[in-house]
Amino acid sequence: MESVEGEAGNFTVTVRERPRYVDMDKCIACGICAERCPRKVKDEYNQGLAQRKAIYLQYAQAVPLKYVIDSDNCIYFKKKGRCRACEKYCPAGAIDFTQREKIHKIKVGSVVLSTGFKSFNPSGYDIYGYDSLPNVITSMEFERILSSSGPFHGHLQRPSDNEPPQKIAWLQCIGSRDLHAGCHEYCSSVCCMYAIKEAIIAKEHAGNDLDTAIFFMDMRTPGKGFDRYYDRAGKEAGVRFIRSRVHSIERAGGPGSDDLKIIYVNKDGRRIEEVFNLVVLSTGIEISEEMRKLAQDLGIELDIHGFAKTSSFTPVATSRPGIFACGAFAGPKDIPQSVMESSAASSACSVLLADSRNTLTQEKTYPPEDPIIYEEPRIGVFVCHCGINIGGVVDVPAVRDYAETLPNVVYVADNMFTCSQDTQGLIRDAVKKNRLNRVVVAACTPRTHEPLFQETIRDGGLNPYLFEFANIRDQDAWVHQKEPEKATEKAKDMVRMSVTKAALLEPIEPLLLENRHEALIIGGGAAGMTAALDLADQGFKTFIVEQNQKLGGHAKHVKRTWKGEDGRAFLSDLIGRVQAHKQIEVLLDAEISHVSGFIGNFKTTVMTGSAKREIEHGIIILAVGAEPLKPDEYLYGQNERVMKWHELEELFEKEPERLEQTEAIAFIQCVGSREPERPYCSKFCCTSSLQQSIDFKTRKPDLNVYILYRDIRAYGQREQLYKKARELGIIFIRYSLDEKPLVERTLIDGKDKLKITVRDQILGIPVELRVDYLNLATAIIPKGDEKLAKILKVPLNEDGFFLEAHMKLRPVDFATDGIFVCGLAHYPKPLEESIVQAKAAAARAASVLIKDSVEVEPTISVVDQGKCIGCGLCEISCPFGAIHLVRVTGQGYRAENISALCKGCGICAAACPQKAIDMKHFRDRQILAMIEAGGSR
Amino acid sequence: MEMKKPFEPKILAFLCNWCAYAGADLAGVSRLQYPPTLRSIRVMCSGRVDPVYITDGLKSGFDSVFVSG
Amino acid sequence: MELTQYLLDLSGIGRNRLQVRWVSAAEGQLFAEYVTEVSDITQKLGPFDPDKFELPLAAVERTLNSARIRWLLGLTKQITEQGNVYNEKLKKEDFKKMLHRAAEEEYQKALIMQVLEERPLSVKEMAEKTGLAVYTVSLRLNELERCNQAGLKQYSGNAPIFMGM
Repeated sequence: MESVEGEAGNFTVTVRERPRYVDMDKCIACGICAERCPRKVKDEYNQGLAQRKAIYLQYAQAVPLKYVIDSDNCIYFKKKGRCRACEKYCPAGAIDFTQREKIHKIKVGSVVLSTGFKSFNPSGYDIYGYDSLPNVITSMEFERILSSSGPFHGHLQRPSDNEPPQKIAWLQCIGSRDLHAGCHEYCSSVCCMYAIKEAIIAKEHAGNDLDTAIFFMDMRTPGKGFDRYYDRAGKEAGVRFIRSRVHSIERAGGPGSDDLKIIYVNKDGRRIEEVFNLVVLSTGIEISEEMRKLAQDLGIELDIHGFAKTSSFTPVATSRPGIFACGAFAGPKDIPQSVMESSAASSACSVLLADSRNTLTQEKTYPPEDPIIYEEPRIGVFVCHCGINIGGVVDVPAVRDYAETLPNVVYVADNMFTCSQDTQGLIRDAVKKNRLNRVVVAACTPRTHEPLFQETIRDGGLNPYLFEFANIRDQDAWVHQKEPEKATEKAKDMVRMSVTKAALLEPIEPLLLENRHEALIIGGGAAGMTAALDLADQGFKTFIVEQNQKLGGHAKHVKRTWKGEDGRAFLSDLIGRVQAHKQIEVLLDAEISHVSGFIGNFKTTVMTGSAKREIEHGIIILAVGAEPLKPDEYLYGQNERVMKWHELEELFEKEPERLEQTEAIAFIQCVGSREPERPYCSKFCCTSSLQQSIDFKTRKPDLNVYILYRDIRAYGQREQLYKKARELGIIFIRYSLDEKPLVERTLIDGKDKLKITVRDQILGIPVELRVDYLNLATAIIPKGDEKLAKILKVPLNEDGFFLEAHMKLRPVDFATDGIFVCGLAHYPKPLEESIVQAKAAAARAASVLIKDSVEVEPTISVVDQGKCIGCGLCEISCPFGAIHLVRVTGQGYRAENISALCKGCGICAAACPQKAIDMKHFRDRQILAMIEAGGSR
Repeated sequence: MEMKKPFEPKILAFLCNWCAYAGADLAGVSRLQYPPTLRSIRVMCSGRVDPVYITDGLKSGFDSVFVSG
Repeated sequence: MELTQYLLDLSGIGRNRLQVRWVSAAEGQLFAEYVTEVSDITQKLGPFDPDKFELPLAAVERTLNSARIRWLLGLTKQITEQGNVYNEKLKKEDFKKMLHRAAEEEYQKALIMQVLEERPLSVKEMAEKTGLAVYTVSLRLNELERCNQAGLKQYSGNAPIFMGM
């Protein structure tokens, strides 16, 4: 991207497209070009640990899967027109040396910057010897070493001698939480988790004899499920965790040894020397110079660390209206948070551009389906050479001739590239001319190409489900390259199996379901209201169901965000906007009593007092929140000087003279969190206590403030608060779970005080503190949502928080379509993260609500009502809640498929004792026929 | 005649579309070579594989059955 | 799948004729390794002759199609995870044992039904054809009679001759 001109809603973006020298329409990603290319260069994707060619794929899963010529290294470009091997051997004629750079001017309404991060480069940071010691590597390099597509094919070995290491160390905070020149003061947020993951995977690869040690300062694993993972790594996998910042790495032993020596101080204060075979530097996240420059060109403000400057309340909006940021460009963060932010950014764009939605779309039309599909099967078989990809191994003409001998086959052809535009035309013509009513293509994989051919035969007037694939490339020619005869035999068998199934295929009607456009949001806190506004601003009628008498939830206690913004002003503005919005209806003092239906068509009963109301809507967003634990330890509830969370702050606000009279305050962290009973971290308690202690200490500098903690989890840029707190003289005392602090009431000079006894884990001695107030950072616990979970048929995790469909990739979805989650009900998180998640949930919800109807995959289960006895085993076994019993007059119960929820897995069919269930397109008789056809010799 | 040919197993495979079938495609993309013994049937989930398919496979002339999800 | 393997063992076909492996979409390497492994296993087992195993195969199939086994398999999750109507949960191992016992009985019944399909037989003849002990045949036959699946056809001398129904 070169520049962005104009304003929100009407930008002109200039994009410079570098030439690829490969025609994207022609390249079939067969890889022959790379095989023939004589020029080898370092493979950046494998961090330079392996080599690639000058014509290459960046990585095996690249989308689109098309090759590219690296003109900086290509012989043709270096030596004026020499070589041209790729051009000569390319079977598709896709090489095009004449391509030139192109400038595109694109009109858009908004721009999203998701440019990611650069991994900190430890070169030149000589104490770790990254440049001089071959077995000191970065975590990114180690990722590639562990990968099965990496330089060593997933075999754990070290770079110097390719020997498998016996002992590996990870050093945390490389380039992060470090004030040296070139390093960063902030925490990179993700390194603790990835180091643990790498250690566990390394052990999986090498077996449990592998010794792994992680050297760290604070273990920062505050995300959902992260602490459990950390616990298991130590207790079950035997990863050693050593709390020590290592100051240098040396070469161990004499010449010829590539081992590494680490000197550190253990928890008893002893100096230890340990030798490792490999050391991994857990390098942090930073913003590249290139990106800083682009931001400057675009007029986007950056913060002091180079990340996009955003507000906690509008977390994806940059300083320039209409330009949004998400992912690591807006601050260090992990995958789930990045995925949520990306959805939040899409929601922000949708709100901005709601008026122009669907103004550039076109609808595709198909010819009516020809009734010949109901006649006797007339099958056409098209066998693909795929250049030499199939043709070079499998005898394609022989397969074609063989296909002609099979029953019901009336037309055969072989094509150089069956997927090419012209062949699509040939297939359409052949269907018409030969009155074909079933088509089999023997080529590549249905996973990528089935939709293309289904579209083709649909254009030819056939139902798209009268198509069958035989995968003779990916699962035949490519994997049996040295056995052409056997590969040909296999191809014939595969074609015979596919033709057999094709003869039994039936047309399947598309499944179109009417879709409602209203949203129902359960919970009227900051998350619920944010989601409601994003949806209502796009024109969707939105209901908020709140169980309390007023909106707001827990956010009212957030005096300031960690960045210093006014939380209460934000909240009152939010409430005002929700109440004034014409498209939002708020139901207070209300409770959900029943929900039926599915995505696009829910019907919910809401009880307001004794009044009953039925609402019809298309989606549900769960934003029911959570609450702080009321502890029964540390004299809470027994002594009024012991408080929790915002209680002390609010006391000082009400009675400012109290702070004046106070000499000392203590905070205890992890009260009820990270304990065997509740083995999760409540995520934002460290930040909250840091903020409060800084506030008190700033207002009364002679105040003694103590924070009793286990790990300070000031993740990301919140590290600044930790730094500031230490600079202000706030005293941090680390305690251990086995020796929790002891709190007692005491009298000093006639004044009521608290005495806290704690063993300082750093000094190794017991310390006695006398304080006026103790504030407890207690666990954030779920509200007991079992009933709601049951009503909605969505799962809770073992801690009682709602469990999303996928922890990383689908962080706001449930496995059940049309229901989304955000805020504390998902997991404890600070306000700004709740807002991001709420906007993400709104984006996911809007993607459903915009449609008038949803087309669902019709390859679903069908119940033979005559055979069904209503036992309900299908209902129990279905993982998607897609089949249920309904009362049939005179027959008791019968199973019925809920097509919108069915994913077509077929577990119900296998579970049915009556064999009353079958799967469309994967019918019992179709599979049995394929088995029989495949077995015959 | 038959006796002279070395025995080449013929294996019926049921591959889950989302897991093993995709894994098999990846093996192809990576050009990993393995014996040409499989005759696969793609299913949407390995849970679809009715136990009867196994006996049916053996009856139909396969030497073994491979289920991969 | 485990039960099918158990039945393959029981029938003398051997559980190794059915191989189950988990492969994710990203594990191409593993897939190739498993195919190689499964091919080696099958190579060592040698060709499978369906004619030789006609009776046991038919009996295994009959067992897998039997209402009792299909019901038990369908109920696995409920019995071991959610509990029965009395909220009792069965341990996975105990359920497996129970399932195996049921499968063995059903398999024996299936063998008997299978040989009776050809022609009516005496207990001794059935025992010879199925390879089951005479006592086992009597036990299973008794159960089949109770369910009206087999019955007395005639006497040949003193020996009762049974038929499938």
